[in-house]
Amino acid sequence: MSENILEVKGLKTYYKTRLRENVYAVDGVDFALEEGKTLGIAGESGCGKSTLALSLMGFYFPPLHYNSGSISINGTDIMKLTKEQLRTQVSGREIAYIPQAAMNALNPTMKIIRFIEDIMKEHRPELTKQQVWQMASERFETLNLSPKVLNSYPNELSGGMKQRTVIAISTILNPKVLIADEPTSALDVTSQKAVIKLLKNLLEKKFIKSLVFITHELPLLYHVTDEIVVMYAGEFVERGTAEQMIFDPVHPYTKKLMGSILVPEEGMKGQKLAAIPGAPPNLKKVPAGCRFADRCSFARDECREGKVEIKVVDGRLYRCLFDTETLKEWYENEQQQ
Amino acid sequence: MNAYTKYFVNKFLWYFVTLLIAVGLNFILPRLIEGNPVSIIVSQMTQGMTDSDTIKRVYETFMVEFGIDKPLGTQFLIYVKNLLMGDLGTSFGLYPKKVTDILASAVPWTVGLQLPAILVGWILGNVLGAVAAYKKGVFDKVIFPVALFINSIPFFTLAIIMLYVFGLTLKWFPLSGGYDFQMIPHLSFDFIFSVIRHHTLPFLSIVLVTIGGQAIGMREMSIYELNSDYVLYSKLLGIRDSKIAKYVFRNAMLPQITGLALSIGTMVGGSLICEIVFSYPGIGTWLFTAIRQLDYPLISGCTLLIAVSVLLANFTLEIIYGFIDPRIKAAQMEDH
Repeated sequence: MSENILEVKGLKTYYKTRLRENVYAVDGVDFALEEGKTLGIAGESGCGKSTLALSLMGFYFPPLHYNSGSISINGTDIMKLTKEQLRTQVSGREIAYIPQAAMNALNPTMKIIRFIEDIMKEHRPELTKQQVWQMASERFETLNLSPKVLNSYPNELSGGMKQRTVIAISTILNPKVLIADEPTSALDVTSQKAVIKLLKNLLEKKFIKSLVFITHELPLLYHVTDEIVVMYAGEFVERGTAEQMIFDPVHPYTKKLMGSILVPEEGMKGQKLAAIPGAPPNLKKVPAGCRFADRCSFARDECREGKVEIKVVDGRLYRCLFDTETLKEWYENEQQQ
Repeated sequence: MNAYTKYFVNKFLWYFVTLLIAVGLNFILPRLIEGNPVSIIVSQMTQGMTDSDTIKRVYETFMVEFGIDKPLGTQFLIYVKNLLMGDLGTSFGLYPKKVTDILASAVPWTVGLQLPAILVGWILGNVLGAVAAYKKGVFDKVIFPVALFINSIPFFTLAIIMLYVFGLTLKWFPLSGGYDFQMIPHLSFDFIFSVIRHHTLPFLSIVLVTIGGQAIGMREMSIYELNSDYVLYSKLLGIRDSKIAKYVFRNAMLPQITGLALSIGTMVGGSLICEIVFSYPGIGTWLFTAIRQLDYPLISGCTLLIAVSVLLANFTLEIIYGFIDPRIKAAQMEDH
């Protein structure tokens, strides 16, 4: 069995609003990621995906704050490091991040190579400028990116190109974990494909050891990731292999989420796409019981009493009071009506 | 010729056309002012005279001497011809002084007052604005409203209040002029001291206003840049804060550089009000006097000087910008 590269336990982070309320956008998240594996995180807008991505980096910028929990990379809890240790030893080296808006992630008045030089000055100060150039152009070439990009300013690159450049920069130090926060959301389909190919390429060439891919586009996750986690109101509600999650979800929320995806198959025309009624709960005041209860058609009274813990039944991880058989039965009944 | 050079040749031509139009307007506009400069001068000269024939002859002599008896078109041709030879004509009010001589004596005063004031105000303002944005907290809560307050006072009010408080009431500084009247400009400790004493109040008034405006602008720009995505991304790649601050302030400075170049460009005619309030012997005061006396050549001379320096500043700015901001360079190339 291979080692866990990334292990997150009970991670809780919150936003402090101007009215001094605490909004727990990530409310007790546990997961582990093995070497060579890819984990997809899916969910609606506002369920805490991007906050989780940022929180995993170990840096907290107001209004985001850290409450409790641990993030271990190769067994080292990065939350126990000082800020300076984190910056010099972890950021970019062990764990790297691809921001949601990669379009603006590059300093507009700086050539790409100057930025890479600055990164190297922090992490590999022994390298000369020529060596940095050598290293960067080799890496870009390996990733099918023209080394000419290095000598360009960000505004000279197209959107897809910029995104791929950002990915190449983020992974230039061969980080163990790469957190990609919606790297494809702002791109057209062709560029999306190029980005996915690039990420797979990075894994194959072992430039990165594992990938956390965050998106709201579930079908995309099926092509990229080994496992998928669905997040709702700051918590994980279900985890399973990509196959299981797409074709055989257990949790009512995952089911609804899958039902709301447009599948281009025969007979779809004219058929109404199911939407999940309502919106995720206000995280300032989370419900005591199941957080999805208010939007769940199977909700019972007991759902609203007490916290629902995640459980393992028949090898499936999900957060619901009922067993898989019951849920399946209810679901089929609903389909027939 | 590459696209970039082409852009500048094209730009240069446009600036040249603008200059030509400015020359035309500089000539025409003063002459459209109601009144006749010669009658003003003659009525002063012939005070007490009763012989209307003499008055008439003096009047006609001046009309011919100043060349304003000829039709406007001919006058313009003569003006342009002289201009090409670097001659801006003879002042009416200070006849027979050459306009170029008057301007040459006034420019050092104006530049000496404005350039240090603008530079000091600009640098202090930008530093304060940047620090306020970076440090936030109490510092920002004090600096920002103060800067806003100073910047909102109309300049003439501020200058008059300063003159009243420090000049008239406290008598710390002299009320007017560039140096003590009884002195003859020469290089001596006394004279330099006098110049500095006269320089202080107008200098401070300009510095204060410049600081206010620059600090507000720089603060806004820095806050915008500090919140941009590349700051977060750079932090998450382990780049140290001091380097990120450099990225941020370099980018926040860009619009501020425009401000500096423009104020240096308009500097020559810039602080008209400041020079008038403090009776400072610069271009502003001369322009003011010239307009009151309908001194056509001097008005045209002053305004031409202002027009040329503004155009020059803008043109230089455009060249510099191409080098420091790739986004603008790209836009400039696309223009073509």
